[in-house]
Amino acid sequence: MRVADLELDRLAQQVRRAGKRIDLTAKEFSLLEYLMSNAGRVLSRTMIIEHVWDHSFDGITNIVDVYVRHLRGKVDDAFDPKLIRTVRGVGYSIGHGVQP
Amino acid sequence: MINTGSLRLRITAWYAGLLAGTLIVFGASVYLGLERYLDWTLQRMLVAECRTIATQLLSQLPAKDAAWLATEINEAYAPEVNGLFIRVVDQSAGVVYLSGAPKDVTFDPGRIPFPRDKEMDGSRKLQFGSGNRLLIHSMTLTTPDGNRFIVESGAPYHQIEVVLHGLLLTFAIYMPFVVSLAVAGGYWLMRRSLQPVDEITKRAEGITSTNLSERLPVIRSGDELERLSISLNRMIQRLDNAFEHINRFSADASHELRTPLTILQLELEGMAQNHRSDAALGDQIGSALEETHRMSRIVESLLTISRLDAGEVKMDKSHLDLGELAASTAGEMKLLAEEKSLGLHLHAEPGVLVAGDRVRLQQVIVNLIDNSIKYTPVGGMIEIRVGGEGNCAVLQVSDNGLGIPAHALPHVFERFYRADKARSRASGGAGLGLSIVKAICAAHNGEIKVSSQEGRGSSFRVELPLLPVFANDGASAALREI
Repeated sequence: MRVADLELDRLAQQVRRAGKRIDLTAKEFSLLEYLMSNAGRVLSRTMIIEHVWDHSFDGITNIVDVYVRHLRGKVDDAFDPKLIRTVRGVGYSIGHGVQP
Repeated sequence: MINTGSLRLRITAWYAGLLAGTLIVFGASVYLGLERYLDWTLQRMLVAECRTIATQLLSQLPAKDAAWLATEINEAYAPEVNGLFIRVVDQSAGVVYLSGAPKDVTFDPGRIPFPRDKEMDGSRKLQFGSGNRLLIHSMTLTTPDGNRFIVESGAPYHQIEVVLHGLLLTFAIYMPFVVSLAVAGGYWLMRRSLQPVDEITKRAEGITSTNLSERLPVIRSGDELERLSISLNRMIQRLDNAFEHINRFSADASHELRTPLTILQLELEGMAQNHRSDAALGDQIGSALEETHRMSRIVESLLTISRLDAGEVKMDKSHLDLGELAASTAGEMKLLAEEKSLGLHLHAEPGVLVAGDRVRLQQVIVNLIDNSIKYTPVGGMIEIRVGGEGNCAVLQVSDNGLGIPAHALPHVFERFYRADKARSRASGGAGLGLSIVKAICAAHNGEIKVSSQEGRGSSFRVELPLLPVFANDGASAALREI
């Protein structure tokens, strides 16, 4: 899977950005995988929780935000353009050129 | 410590008091009756003596002399030996006979005054020295030859007093004994008859909102106690109905709110994604959406609690290892703890098996850990322990955070309760997380307890029925660290 210069290899469980390899934890990997397989779509926190965690984590306020922040630190902070986008009130989406 | 206000004690005291009163009245009437009877008997004896002396001895007097009379009287009555007083006076010739001093010397016959005119043919009482009293009967007799005699016969009260004294002593000794026996018996009887009330009290104490379907034992005594137990049961029935009604209402209300909320949310999400131009509008839509999400979460939680309380949720129960569940859940939440630099430690005994719904029990652990993270300041410590105690599987989540004030402690599991309104609102909770935990525990026939010291931290303890497969040999209990 590929979004701009971010590549995700499901089989090898590997992620590269601009050719550089990035180490992710299992949770971060599934989060990124879920975002990328719905690239361009905005995913709500509830959808993310039910997909990446499970229903019983719903209601914990900031688990998704914390993980997205960690994920951003690894795949976005050192690069341009920023790929992970926050949609206020809704959730997150990944994809370039949608909105800064 | 004896409770002086208790019914049992009061009734026993009344009982003892009444019995003592009755005994005193009874004793007094026996005493007075006996005294009068003995007095009367003594008087009768004296009258009979006088009459005998007068009719049988004095009638022969002109023929016999005074010495003969003395011998006759001494032989018949032996006044000195029997402590009696006898005097015969001839009004023209003076004292004809006077008995000697009694052998116990309680009176001196020579010093007894003659009866006054109004005391003739009657009785009089004389007092001697230290309380010796003498009852004397006198009788006048005129012989056919014109001589007038006065016959006197007396006996000391002493003997009557001995009898009465003995009676008094008997009362004094036995009455306290009888009364204390009655008190003990009365107390025991009261206890026996109040036993069923004790039983009802104990059972009533055990009835809470979670087991309102239970009823108290009905005492089939056909009296106040039976009516009491029946009334209490009816009251529990009404409470049960009221609770069910409330549950029904919140379940229906949250169910009805769900659909419009979902539609509202979808509309807002659509707007948020489609508008491109106006940043301020986007912000407003986002803010509205956040509130809608919060509302949905509250409605969902309420629905969950109401359904759990009503027993309508079908539990997908399977055998699961509580320690493993805690480990995986804590692992998922580790990052959240690290965000606040909190230490999250797990100590789990292996093989603590429970029958439960995996998702629901995970929710218990998630909510408890989430709660601890919220209320523990940066740098604190959260500890999760899982173990078996007796036939209980115990999961304990402790922290060294802010703690809960003592006045709030009994309320933390109530819906929408927040010890510190301002702070909790800021951290996003609606005050339902712990209510859900409690409802889930109850649905698993378990319990949740909380202990806390303000400023020192809190500890939540979940107890679930342990599956018997668990073999607790402490030696091999390995501890796991996440």
